[in-house]
Amino acid sequence: MFHFSVVTNWIDEFLRAYLPDVWVLLIEYVLIGAVILGVYAVLALVLIYLERKICAFFQCRLGPTRVGPWGLLQSVADMVKILLKELIKINRVDPLLFRLAAFLVIIASICTFGALPFDEGLLVVDFNIGVFYLLSVSSLGVVGILMAGWASNNKYTRIGAMRSGAQLISYELSCGLAMMTIVMLSGSLQLSEIVSQQSETWNIWRGGIPACIAFVIYLIAGHAETNRGPFDLPEAESELTAGYHTEYSGIQFGFFYLAEYLNMFIIAAIATTLFLGGWQPLHIPGWDAFNTTMDFIPPVLWFFAKAFACVLLSLWVRWTMPRLRIDQLLKLEWQILMPLALIDILLMALWVIYF
Amino acid sequence: MQVINDLLARLPFATIEQHDKEYTVIVPKEKLRETAILLRGLRVKPAMTGIEPLAPAVTDTEARVPATDTEAFATATSGFEFDYLTDIVGMDYGEELGVIYFLSPSRYPSYGLILKTSTADREKPEIDSIFDLWCAAALYEREVYDFFGIVFTGNPDMRRLFLRQDWNGYPLRKDYDANPALNPVPTNNEALADMENLPTTSIDINGERLKEHTKLFETEDYVVNFGPQHPATHGVLHLRVSLDGETIKKVDPNFGYIHRGIEKMSEAYTYPQILHLTDRLDYLSGTINCHATCLCVEKGLELEVPERAHYIRTIIDELTRIASHLLGWGCMAMDMGSITAFVYGMRDREKIMDIFEETCGGRLMANYSVIGGVMQDIHPNFQKRVKDFIPYMRKMLKEYHLLFTGNPIARGRMDGIGYLSKEHAISLGATGPTGRASGWSNDVRKIEPYAAYRHADFKEMLRTDGLTFDRYIIRLDEVEESLKILEQLIDNIPGGAYAAKTKAIIKLPEGEFRQRVEAARGEFDVYINSRGDKYPYRVKFRSPCMTLVNTLAHIAPGTKVADLIMLGGSLDYVVPCIDR
Amino acid sequence: MSYIKSIIVGIWRLMQGMYITMLNFIRPKVTECYPENRGKTEPLGAMRGELVMFHNENNQHQCSACGICQMNCPNDTIQIITKMVPTGEEGKEKKALDKYMYDLGSCTFCSICTISCPQNAIEWSKNFEHATFTSPKLVNQLNRAGSTLMEKEKV
Repeated sequence: MFHFSVVTNWIDEFLRAYLPDVWVLLIEYVLIGAVILGVYAVLALVLIYLERKICAFFQCRLGPTRVGPWGLLQSVADMVKILLKELIKINRVDPLLFRLAAFLVIIASICTFGALPFDEGLLVVDFNIGVFYLLSVSSLGVVGILMAGWASNNKYTRIGAMRSGAQLISYELSCGLAMMTIVMLSGSLQLSEIVSQQSETWNIWRGGIPACIAFVIYLIAGHAETNRGPFDLPEAESELTAGYHTEYSGIQFGFFYLAEYLNMFIIAAIATTLFLGGWQPLHIPGWDAFNTTMDFIPPVLWFFAKAFACVLLSLWVRWTMPRLRIDQLLKLEWQILMPLALIDILLMALWVIYF
Repeated sequence: MQVINDLLARLPFATIEQHDKEYTVIVPKEKLRETAILLRGLRVKPAMTGIEPLAPAVTDTEARVPATDTEAFATATSGFEFDYLTDIVGMDYGEELGVIYFLSPSRYPSYGLILKTSTADREKPEIDSIFDLWCAAALYEREVYDFFGIVFTGNPDMRRLFLRQDWNGYPLRKDYDANPALNPVPTNNEALADMENLPTTSIDINGERLKEHTKLFETEDYVVNFGPQHPATHGVLHLRVSLDGETIKKVDPNFGYIHRGIEKMSEAYTYPQILHLTDRLDYLSGTINCHATCLCVEKGLELEVPERAHYIRTIIDELTRIASHLLGWGCMAMDMGSITAFVYGMRDREKIMDIFEETCGGRLMANYSVIGGVMQDIHPNFQKRVKDFIPYMRKMLKEYHLLFTGNPIARGRMDGIGYLSKEHAISLGATGPTGRASGWSNDVRKIEPYAAYRHADFKEMLRTDGLTFDRYIIRLDEVEESLKILEQLIDNIPGGAYAAKTKAIIKLPEGEFRQRVEAARGEFDVYINSRGDKYPYRVKFRSPCMTLVNTLAHIAPGTKVADLIMLGGSLDYVVPCIDR
Repeated sequence: MSYIKSIIVGIWRLMQGMYITMLNFIRPKVTECYPENRGKTEPLGAMRGELVMFHNENNQHQCSACGICQMNCPNDTIQIITKMVPTGEEGKEKKALDKYMYDLGSCTFCSICTISCPQNAIEWSKNFEHATFTSPKLVNQLNRAGSTLMEKEKV
């Protein structure tokens, strides 16, 4: 099995052989930062292209075909366009909050992204409270959204931001509870530990029915946290034109846009890590030949394959279903998902004790 | 009919003419309100009490006038009250300004009554308002005021409807000065009566005139502008909505952003030339509007239209109806966030557009009907294409139901929202699928079968609940019925000429002509007043959509913002039809 | 119990919707790549692209410059400029078409001109690519340079 740790360790040893520790650390920090930002941007481009193409296919259309073969470079062209766009100055906005909001949203998104374990050794910081870190950092984004809605000084954005606040904070609960279920199963908050436990069977099998329920809850709540699909109330374009980012233009809008797509990926990646075995290949106990074959596929590929499968599911749901109304949205969370998640935690406790 | 005769016998001051099932009643303007109350069949409340808010609740059993002996009579004629106000038409007769009310009893829809009144005062024309008798009247009166300057005393909202509030002159008057210097292109924003007072003229209990004002919005209201540039108002409609959190308190529709003055333009056009404008009213049922105008002119000319033309027109009408309902379905789904459904609707509508392109020449603006028949014969592929389309559409309808009708989220959104009672629908004049979803049988194809509808066997789809879901599902059901009509007609198109020969210059004989048809969104009427010229003296198109927006303003309060958009989708209005 | 049943029915209905979208995912797509398919598909049947004047192989048209189309046009789209040409007989002149100007920019494609033309001289072409960079280019002369009136066949 090829692990990415080989590469990272080699870089580390190579640098340490020639440079003092301080310089090594500095270079590694810069390197990691650059890589994270690069991967973040590239992933966003891929996701935007994927979304546009797949949404087109669901709608019986061809989708982007102009830029590059099959329109592959479409999102690059979009990115260039968005970078060249004027940042329109809007009268009577709160200038500090208005600008800060876009950064906050994307910073929260990048911070979460940085903590994802892509592979053995391909992990920026292996916190011993990894799950807790993910939860807390990803919920910072809502502050940015609220700020954007407030600072724009626009009635649509304000309604969008209020909806967003209500929605994100509510769904954070069942999202967190679903994650806690897995933490109970693994007995650890450390992401690398959770993944390595799943080398034989993934959590979704290991945890039985409680884990399956938690997985479904997590997918729904996570999907709601990305402000997409049937849960896109904060930006409901047919009601609030563009919700909280109505007034943004150029790269500031681009930040919201990027963050939205990356959040979709992050949710999928967390689902992969916690429920689908992270970068662990698919192993079926007893099928040794099969397991060995699976081992030949690099773990990074496994990780991305699983994450993209979750992303596809999210896209499929998004392009099929109509939007919920705000009271239905809250009802779904507080009357169905939350109680279910609480019961599920109880079930998981029983499962952990007796199985 | 005896009841009507009895009724009209109580109007000694009126001039009454009867023509088949249509009665024309001319009353002096002082007696208008009394007549209107009698015709409405209302029981009467002793005295009026101040001014009602902008959107009056349906006053089914009460009206604010001095007591007369109408009370006993109203019970006697119950069931035959003229509760459906089709339209109010303003007229400039040259010396006098007049108003024409088209009324119809909803239970006996084939009867009609035309109530006319006029005023000789051109400087300060005033006519009593009937806004509290029919919910539809409030907007119609504003339209007449906008174009003719007739002030309706008692109507609490006498703003201009289409033109800017600071417009000079009343454009549909014959002495209107169209000099552009009087109305230069404005560069400033229109001062909307947002928190300010509305211009009204009202009469107090003693019959004395006094200027009163009512407020549109309170100062502390959170007023959000939906439109004119908003993705979900289906055109340049401007809704001002006051919100309480997410709950709607009041809706004030503003029209006129796409007002082209088609009625005014028509007065300068010959009859064949008018036809190219009618497609541009409600562009989604353009061929039906065009058909209606042709029928009206043909009625005036007493022209015998070949049966082949009738069949072709009917088939084209039904195709238009399907196309319109598909778009309506898709737009409603998109308003609720399901963009995929919209694309599916557009995809299947495209098949109909192809048929139009092949036979009519235009896709959206078909301009297919001409006076005397249709413009050119059908394309050889026409029948085959339509026959291919029918099974395809049936299959797709099943998919629509699977995709959207059954979807629990969609059902959760639609169920129990936007109740419109039958009485309210009639009073608002919400015709078409909206009225039928509330149980009001108002299909003109059944009431007065025109063209080839008498040869087709079809049902009028009726539902009783009057909720959003009923308005949604009734459109899909009507597509199903339209397919049935197509199936029956497509193989039986008779041979012969496709158009009757007409004179090179068409002059309509002197008189008034009116034709009602069932457009995709409701009853579309054409009223032509001719003075024997080759130009009409006055043309009025009844817009089915204007009453629908009025309906939205009546049923939206109390629902959420998301519901407002969805209700708009379920009513399926088209803005150019309103603005004309 | 009915609560659980309603949830199951709801999920089943959602799955049905997702089945429909998946069905369309694998169906052939209906949209086309427009500039690439130029020449492969053309507008159908009676499509009204723009007004053209019929010319035969001898560069002759049928327009007698009667002006009926100009009179009937609701938007002043058509302007007919006439000239006097000598007829075969000595000293006599006859009205003939000099320029037939058609303003595509104000045309609403109502087709009143074509159906009212007594000579059937004008017809619709299927050209739908009307875009120009300046609006004067939308005004076209429909009769070709040097074209003459088609001689009517004597019956």
